[in-house]
Amino acid sequence: MNQVGSALSLAFGLAGVGALAGLVAPARWRSLAAGAAIAAVGAAGAAAGFAVVSGTGWQVSLPDLLPLAGVSLSADALAGWFLLLIGGVAAVVGVYTVGYAGRSGHGPASRAALAVLPVFVAAMLLVPVAASVSTFLLAWELMAVTSLLLVLGEHRHSPAVRTAGLWYAAMTQAGFVAVLLGLVWLAAAAGGESFAVIRAAGPGLSPVVAGGVFLLCVAGFASKAGAVPLHPWLPRAHAEAPSHVSALMSAAMVKLGVYGIVRVGFDLLGGGPRWWWLLLGGLGAVSALYGILQAAVATDLKRLLAFSTSENVGLILLGLAAAGLWADAGQPAVAGVALAAALLHAANHAGFKTLLFCGAGSVLRATGTRDLDVLGGLSRRMPATTLLFTVGALGAAALPPGNGFVSEWLLLQALLHRAPAAGTVITVAAPVAVAVVALTAGIGVAAYVKALGTGFLARPRSTAAASAVESPPSMLAGMGLAAVVCAGLAVAPAVSAPALDRIATGLNAGTAPLAGGGVDVRLSGIASTISPLWIAVGVVGLAVGYAAAARALGRTRRRAAAWDCGDGPLTPRMEYTATSFAEPLQRVFDNVLAPEQDVDVTHPAESAYLVRAVQYRRRLPDRVEARLYRPLIAAADTVGRAARLLATGSVHRYLAYMLGALVAVLVAGVIR
Amino acid sequence: MSAWGAAAVQAVLVAAVAPLLIGFMRAVRARLEGRAGGRLVQPWRDLRKQLRKESIIPADAGVFFTAAPVVLLATSVLVAAAAPYLSTRGPLPGVADLIVVVGLLLLGAVALALAGLDTGTAFGGMGASREMTIAALVEPTLLLSVFALSTRSGSTDLGAIVAAGAADTAGAFTPASALAAAALAIATLAEAGRLPVDNPATHLELTMVHEAMVLEYSGRDLALVEWAAAMRLTILLGLLANLFIPWGVATSLHPLAIAVAVVVFVAKLAVLGGLLAAGEVFAAKLRLFRIPELLAGSFVLGLLAVITSAVLA
Amino acid sequence: MTDQLLNLACGLFLLTAIGVLWRRELSALIALLTVQGLALTGIAAVLAVGHSTETMVVAVGVGLLKAGLLPWLLRRVLTQVPGARETAPLVNVSASMLAAAGLVLLAYVAARPLVELAPTAAAQAAPVGIAVVLIGFFLATTRRRAISQIIGVMLIDNGIAAVAFLATGGVPLVVELGVSADLLLAVLVLQVLTTRLHAAFGDTDLDELRELHD
Repeated sequence: MNQVGSALSLAFGLAGVGALAGLVAPARWRSLAAGAAIAAVGAAGAAAGFAVVSGTGWQVSLPDLLPLAGVSLSADALAGWFLLLIGGVAAVVGVYTVGYAGRSGHGPASRAALAVLPVFVAAMLLVPVAASVSTFLLAWELMAVTSLLLVLGEHRHSPAVRTAGLWYAAMTQAGFVAVLLGLVWLAAAAGGESFAVIRAAGPGLSPVVAGGVFLLCVAGFASKAGAVPLHPWLPRAHAEAPSHVSALMSAAMVKLGVYGIVRVGFDLLGGGPRWWWLLLGGLGAVSALYGILQAAVATDLKRLLAFSTSENVGLILLGLAAAGLWADAGQPAVAGVALAAALLHAANHAGFKTLLFCGAGSVLRATGTRDLDVLGGLSRRMPATTLLFTVGALGAAALPPGNGFVSEWLLLQALLHRAPAAGTVITVAAPVAVAVVALTAGIGVAAYVKALGTGFLARPRSTAAASAVESPPSMLAGMGLAAVVCAGLAVAPAVSAPALDRIATGLNAGTAPLAGGGVDVRLSGIASTISPLWIAVGVVGLAVGYAAAARALGRTRRRAAAWDCGDGPLTPRMEYTATSFAEPLQRVFDNVLAPEQDVDVTHPAESAYLVRAVQYRRRLPDRVEARLYRPLIAAADTVGRAARLLATGSVHRYLAYMLGALVAVLVAGVIR
Repeated sequence: MSAWGAAAVQAVLVAAVAPLLIGFMRAVRARLEGRAGGRLVQPWRDLRKQLRKESIIPADAGVFFTAAPVVLLATSVLVAAAAPYLSTRGPLPGVADLIVVVGLLLLGAVALALAGLDTGTAFGGMGASREMTIAALVEPTLLLSVFALSTRSGSTDLGAIVAAGAADTAGAFTPASALAAAALAIATLAEAGRLPVDNPATHLELTMVHEAMVLEYSGRDLALVEWAAAMRLTILLGLLANLFIPWGVATSLHPLAIAVAVVVFVAKLAVLGGLLAAGEVFAAKLRLFRIPELLAGSFVLGLLAVITSAVLA
Repeated sequence: MTDQLLNLACGLFLLTAIGVLWRRELSALIALLTVQGLALTGIAAVLAVGHSTETMVVAVGVGLLKAGLLPWLLRRVLTQVPGARETAPLVNVSASMLAAAGLVLLAYVAARPLVELAPTAAAQAAPVGIAVVLIGFFLATTRRRAISQIIGVMLIDNGIAAVAFLATGGVPLVVELGVSADLLLAVLVLQVLTTRLHAAFGDTDLDELRELHD
């Protein structure tokens, strides 16, 4: 057992200890015990991941742990990347949980809610190292069930949590069934259930089997990743779950859907024909655009962040699709860049989304609301949280020098590459994809300016926001750690070059995508360069330099009332809210968002020409949900009602059904 | 001359010329409208006056309001130093990337939008909301033009694109580059807040975009914002000039070549600025909700540029 | 040099079609159509140089008809409904532009086999004609005004003519004249129709014709 094995054993052992501690520790110490356990599990997982991406391989087979199939684990560079990502997120969230779920905190501090957390983290760590179909499915289901329990953490307080739990349970199980069918079909076709056997048989599979497996797995994994149109659980679950759980789910768990697609598509099946990747790219493009549009018009801070997760998953899927297409077109170098962009964006998203969900949790703890329309004025009351949220928002908006910018730059580089020999489809798809990424980035900037500007700046628009106080140190420490990681990823993404190289080589999808470490990111096969460090130094250096010079000159500023058009003092009611900020965008994209508006004008009895009151209501329902899922649910409901005729409550009748079924099976066997 | 020296010259030149460009455009416009107009250096005098005055900030504004002018200026200076205005051999190839430049300019706009929201007035919020809507819709056009331009050199490095254009001037005038130039010109109007997207001379609340965001700035802070806004216009027009008319840009760091490049650059700016000012005399501001139509048009131009460059490649 | 001129003419041809989608004023639409007719004449003329006199005659005929007679007739129709604008198209202008972008991409992909058959500069520009046909159909389907719809039909005709010129190097004079005569008839019918519509309803919105059904 090498260091990877020891680190992982330590992680799983600690998870057990943490779960136990969460169950038995007195209420006073419970959040500390659970938080410390999660942080430790995460740190151990991250250490294992770091060792793996640095080149240490590991595999183990435990045939006796489970009946029939046993458990087999192994770690290659791809698994290591996701171990590092999940471990890092868990370590940060663990620190945050100590304060968030603590006595003065806001999150649920019940035994169950805290004891399940370490198990959930351990399950997430188990997924990427699973090396056989049965182990993978087991870990996947364990992750799904524990996350469902965590989403329901605050079910006593609000019915919305119960609805969210129901959506999540239904969709995650449907996704599991799709993955189960796909992987079992694959194992049957390959003649063995261990990934090594499948990998060897993968390229020889018939196109029908490979295509079918790919479709089923993409459906299942994309629903876990929250890609549109398989996303409706995501804005509900992420918004209603306790914030540290939202952070874990959005930053880490969702990425395992991406992992699944990479593992099955590139590794087990060994790449595929063009239509696979065009389909995946279409899914990514729709997710990115629809997700960010919904985020831009959302007024619930956590719903905004959740839809932005759909958007980022869409961008990652676009990167994977580009990698598949370029590999299919015989351009391995560009395929490597696209894959690197997708994986780096997954890491960046994990970084800033952890930070943002924790920031949203701090706001929720301080004010008790997630509604951006009634927030505001937090920058004076919670300066540290505001600063940390700004760092996250800078990354999420993909602006330089934030961390999201580098991966979007990489993605654009992979899409901008021109290879006339690659065929008409790529020539047409590439500019469309570029336009999608650009529009997504543009609206993303608007969405995060809204989140930061209407949520944290100006004056408070409610008493709850006015009475906000800064978060306890452990929450700030957790967010601070995440911010440091974001900053590191932003200025020195080149340090990940060897790891990305190992992954690309291991998957036969391109070689050494990022050449040259140090300050600049150079690409193989594309002649563009970016120096994230110089960008950061330039912007920050010039700004700080100027500010210092101005301070040295000793000119002060005077405060005075803002311009109120000469009509009394300004009130917070006159401020732009999140709704009003997003109104122009909503009107521009009216056809896509289809808002429901109604205006009621009531007249006094004496005359129909006078107006007593005007009532204006607007709702922005999730259109995909309303158009796609409501009919499905209605149909399922109808079938269910019809089936109820079979169940009259008579025991004799039920026994007769069983007898009939048994006889039918036997007769069928005889006839055959 | 070292590459860093050339970059410093370039930054100083852009900073110095920017207010003059504004003054020149105002003068052209005044002449065409039959007015006498101000002197060329009037914007510089205004800046000097404002720089001496005390800054007053709204009672509820926070650190975002005071930081925004500095961030805006920093992004403008960084782009002015890194992009290939005088010489294609910048010291920072990793910053002089077309996508990075687009991102840095957007960062400056975001800083101002946040400052507008930070004032807590309806004007500030209105300007921020409109500015961000327009900025979001401009992005696709910008990046499609980048796509069309990057075909020539196989890279989004501005230095490489301009150098490729300077080496092959005939290749720089193709239908694809004409379409890309048209698309980028419309995007430039929107980014720089010129007519018909925004009217820099208005203070009418129904039509303000940029002016609404900066309404609360005064004194030194206002000077910085106005200076940076002028620099942004110079930066964008300069890029447009050097990307599509790549004559006279120095490909070495010889002082004489740089000196020639300075003269050519100022001449190109004057021509483009004069054309823009003359065009603005005949243009009216579009309604806010007609702007998406304009930008959708520029998007189609950008897409046609990409397709054309693919067909004719 | 010929190739450059051809590219220029084709670019102008496509841009005017997109401009027709973009503008709302019917008078601007007619002006754009005139320019497009000139561009089509240019395409025909460039192809005719050094080929045959018959093609040159066709070019001149096309120029007279498409840049002269048809726009003149349309303008006469327009004088009866002054200041008319396409106020509320079925698909809004921004969405129309995106649709146009999609149609151009489609035309490009669809014409790929054609281009690969004969990789000359003229054949490479053939997708432009197909794109204009598609845009013409789109215009005719989504606009309410009778004049916009006939302009859509004329775009289709121009597009077909352009494809014929570009792909084959010219159309027989008889065919071109026959098609154009049909179009002329259509415009004349439209003129009568618009005048009657205007007299009966005070408007030229074709949706009003539905009332005749009841």
